[in-house]
Order: sequence, then structure tokens, then C-alpha cells
Amino acid sequence: MTYLDQTLSASGSLLEARGIIKDYGSVRAVDGVDFEIPNNCFVTILGPSGCGKTTILRMIGGFESITEGSLRLDGEPLMHVMPYERPINTVFQNYALFPHLRVADNLAFGLKLQKLAQNEIERRVHRALETVQMTSLAERYPSQLSGGQQQRVALARAFINEPKLLLLDEPLGALDLKMRRHMQVELKDLQQRLAMSFLYVTHDQEEAFALSDIIIVMNGGRIEQIGSPEEIYHSPLNTYVADFIGGANLISGTITKMHGTHSTAMIHTGIGDVEAECSTSVTAHEPASLCIRSEDLQHLQVPLADGLTFNATVTHIIFQGSSKLVEVKVADEKVVAKLDHDVPALVGESIMLGVEHNRCRIVHGKPFASGNIQ
Amino acid sequence: MKMVTIERERLRTALLLTTPNLLFITAFCVLPLAVLFSYSFFQVDFVSILREPTLDNYSRIAESATYRGLVAKALLYGLGIASLCALIAYPIAFYIAKRVKVYKAALLTLLLIPLYTGDLIRIFAWRVVLGAEGVLNSLLLWLGIISEPIWVLLFSPFATTVVLTYNYLPFMIFPLWAAIEAMDDSYIEAAMDLGCRHVAVFFKVVLPLSGAGLVAGFLMVFALVVGDYLTPQLMGGSSGVTVTSAIHDMFGAAFDWPTGSALAWILLASMILFVVCVLYAFYRSPWGRGVRRSK
Repeated sequence: MTYLDQTLSASGSLLEARGIIKDYGSVRAVDGVDFEIPNNCFVTILGPSGCGKTTILRMIGGFESITEGSLRLDGEPLMHVMPYERPINTVFQNYALFPHLRVADNLAFGLKLQKLAQNEIERRVHRALETVQMTSLAERYPSQLSGGQQQRVALARAFINEPKLLLLDEPLGALDLKMRRHMQVELKDLQQRLAMSFLYVTHDQEEAFALSDIIIVMNGGRIEQIGSPEEIYHSPLNTYVADFIGGANLISGTITKMHGTHSTAMIHTGIGDVEAECSTSVTAHEPASLCIRSEDLQHLQVPLADGLTFNATVTHIIFQGSSKLVEVKVADEKVVAKLDHDVPALVGESIMLGVEHNRCRIVHGKPFASGNIQ
Repeated sequence: MKMVTIERERLRTALLLTTPNLLFITAFCVLPLAVLFSYSFFQVDFVSILREPTLDNYSRIAESATYRGLVAKALLYGLGIASLCALIAYPIAFYIAKRVKVYKAALLTLLLIPLYTGDLIRIFAWRVVLGAEGVLNSLLLWLGIISEPIWVLLFSPFATTVVLTYNYLPFMIFPLWAAIEAMDDSYIEAAMDLGCRHVAVFFKVVLPLSGAGLVAGFLMVFALVVGDYLTPQLMGGSSGVTVTSAIHDMFGAAFDWPTGSALAWILLASMILFVVCVLYAFYRSPWGRGVRRSK
């Protein structure tokens, strides 16, 4: 049972997307996407730019029409509900804070439209300002705030309306690294305190790992994999996910033997043969690749008893502080190993590397053309 | 290069770039206005000008209900036509900026085409439309809505208003279009996201954030309408007397340059006062803040 299934059965489903397709003229931006978002869950759509992730967010927000498919929130169809009638709020990429309104008025914007009583509005604005630690800046205009402060106001303006689902479109993209790390912690913390579902869009896998309960990996308008960060990292379904997440070594191979339960198989590759666990999508007759994380490779003196060992020539070394990235060539394959800084390795020399077989994984598909040190 | 040299170099460039313009404006705008200003303190005696400074011209104009009425009428027309233009221009500007994707440039050029034809041609075209035997009356007669031509369509304040609005509408549409075009769509989306329906989106977000365009268009149309004496004269009939046509007459037929100058300066001063008030109010308001600081 996957983590998503567990969460769905524990908290119930909030948003259900079925067969979503979006065409812009002749260009298909989103190509048949299915997913579910559980209640009280931090879900991230992760993918490179142009993969359709923002389009999905905009369709859920109501800013784009859906060419085909269905969206349901709490079981109710969303397709013909106008954005202002959806119990969903958005944190925009550029924050879109109204420059002519003070911070407090920006927060009160949605509440005033709901025609709440004045003292109720004040109470909620005050509480939201406290939540994002902006009480002292309530009378400022957005232009008088730093990027991080604007970010907090944008967040508060969205969650103050108590939506069922909060959409966040790369909200940390404009912040510097330090601020971004800080806001990641705050975001995760906020999501748990508000007990609200967040749907977050990013191209930054580190950010996705730091924040998410569930990650949806997208590529070219399609979903490649849905799962918890651990599942995505340790059990990638295909070469795309393995390569996009953490840049694993992918070595093309052929399945020589499939075991009855289909959970393990024997793969023949340019760096040797190994028996390893394989993704559900792997079949005996389709292309498959061996996936090895660079940090799982060890520098050896004697071959491993239970695993894959190979001799390779060092081609590049990149110093990384406590560790170093060593790119080696074996047969025609390039492999990157993350080794301790004190491992003796010189460019042009041969070293023995190995990986335990339980650290190997067989995934569906051929490797991509990258394969260099990242 | 030393800091001082760089500074001097910058100053030299600035002077080189601005001097020709400053000279031109001084020679052909500031100096004539100054001469005009000095004339406004002189007196006219039959056909010669008495160069003895006095405030008589100003006091005479201030005491005359006719002149006061003419200045007030000019300013009111300016205000009214500019407001009317804003009302008509907003939907058009919004449509071109946010809805049109493919033929944007073509539509904007279409708006400009009437400006290429010249004042008189446009005015006479409107005479053909609004006249007693004109297109509009004929159509209404033919449809049986009216039994005799509506005379008031032409040579009336109505005709003046229609033609002035038509003439100066592009000067309102363009700045509004530029302001709305520059406004990020996400403001509109954020407003809808937070619960605004379409009308509320306009009043709460689009209007405040396009304030700069509105003010620019408003002041442009205002100045053009106040200065236009051809349209009221040719379209307004007996109502067509304006303060500018009065000034024109005093410089021409009446040969009373001093009174004409004084009247011209009073008009100019009231317009400047109006513009300053509008700009001050605008920049003091949150709308001005929205426009100044947003990208």
C-alpha cells in the first residue's frame, strides 16, 4: 500500500482530477492527468518548466478552462464554478499584492467581499498577521516591504479566507536561498497549523522534498509518478523520475530473467549483471535501466560478495567539501560516484567501485542523454 | 578616469542633449507668452497700444459675467467631455489590452485613422450625419420613429458634445490602454480569486491600478477641449461662442490685444490650477501610490 493510499484512506479525498486535458490551440499542455489530493496534506507538483504544472494549478483555481476531464472538490464538480465562487485561494508567483492597499487592507480584501462584520474582519486580519509575524507592518504598503515580507502577506491574504485548498505557484522563486530555506520551514509549519491542504508547484526538487507529504512528478504534460518523497527517491518508476530526482546514474540494460512475483529481475548492463528490485512498470520485453544513486557507490579494495563490482577509469573529480564527486568511465558508460573526500582517486587512474545489490533498482525506459556530473 | 571628470562629462552630455530643446521652447513658447503676459497689462486706445501698466484688463474681465461665464463654460466642457470620453474609453481600452490577442496593433491603428483626416473634414462629416436632411434624421424618418426632422441634432450643445467626444476619444483610449496593458493579469486574477465578480474587479482593482492612464487621458482631453474653438463654432450654432473664440476675435477683428492677452492668461491660469489640483489629489490618493510603485 503506497503512502498516498494510506493518507487518502486516513484523511479522505479533497480534490479529485480525472483525465484532465488542456489544449492551447494545437498545443497540448496537459495530457490526461489523474490525481487525488487528500485532506490536510501538502502536495507538490514537481516538474521542469513547461511541463504543465502551472496550467493544472490555474485550472484548479478557475483561471483556465479545462479542455477535457473532470475536477471535483469534496465530490462536487468544479468545472462550471467561477473562480470567485470556489473555496480555493491562490498565492501567486509574483504575489499580486494590491499596490494601492495597505497590508491590512490587502488581507481584508476577501473578507470584505464576504460581507463579514467589521469586528470579525479586524479579528481575523489581526490573527492572520500574527500567524505570519507581520503585525508591526500592517499599515505599510506592499512596495515598502521586502520580498520575504511580501511573500508572507500573500500567504496570509490567501489563507485568511479559510479555503479548503490553498494553491501556491512557485511562491519562493523570487527569494534568495537563505530566505527560501527559512520560508520552506515556515510554509510546512503553517500548513500543519492551519490543517489545510496545500497544492504547491515547483521545479526545485529539494524544495519539494523539504515540504511535501506527496509529490506528483510531471513531465511533458503527463504525470510520471505520484508518491511520498521517500518513494519517489528510493523507488523511481522510470528513468525520467530517477534522473530528475537527485540525478541518479542510469545504465541501459536488458532484462535477462524476470522472477515470478515481478518484484525482482536480473539485468544485464555494460558495467555488469545484477539482480535487483524493479519498478512495477518494468516488463521483460521493454527497455529497462539500472538505477544507482551516486552516494550508494563505494570505493572498494576487494569485490563485494553480494552486489555489483566494477573497475573504472576516473575522468573528472569535483570537490564538494566533505565528499567529492568522481566521474568514471567503464565500458561506454559514464558513472558518477559520491565518495568520501579522503578516498584516493586521481584522474586517469583506475579504481574499483561497487554497490550492494539491495541499493540497485531496475526502472522502466532508456536513460536520458545527460549522464554527466551535475 | 577621475570621479570629477566623470561628473563633468555627464553634465556636458546633459547640457548637449537639453540645450536645443530649452532654446526652442524659450524662443517660441516662453518668450511669446511673456510678451503676451506684458500686453495683458497695457491698454488699447483706438488703434494704438498704450504701454502704461495697469490691472484694468483683469478687473474688467473679472467683473464681466459674460467672460466669467465663458471661462466657466470652457472648463465645464473640458470636464464633461473628458468624463464622457473616460466612460466610453474604459471598456474599449480594457478590451484591446486584455481580450484582444491577435489584431491588437490593427485595432489601435484603426482608432488613429480619424485623426489623420483633419478637423474640418471630420466636423463636416458629422454635419452630414446630424443635419436636418442628414443620415440620422433620414433614418429615423424612414423608420417612422419621428414625423419631422429633429433640428436640435445639429447646431446645438448636443452636436458640440458629440463631435468633441468623438474627436478626442483616442486621446483617452491610448493612455488607458497603455495603463491596462501594463497591469499584470495576476492582479485581476487575484481579485477574482478573493471573491470579486467582474464589476467589483473593475472598481476595486482595474480602476485604481490604471489611475495614471486615466489622469493622463483626462488632462489631455481636458486641455484639447478647452482649446478647441473650431468644433463649437461649426457644430454649436448659437451656443458655439467659446472663450477661445472670444480671444481669437479680440486679437483679430476687435484689435484689442491687451484684453485678449488678459483673457488668455486667465484661461491658462485656471487650467493650470485645475491640472495641479487633479495631479495633487491623484498623487495623494492611494491610487497614485498604486501606480507610482507598481510595475
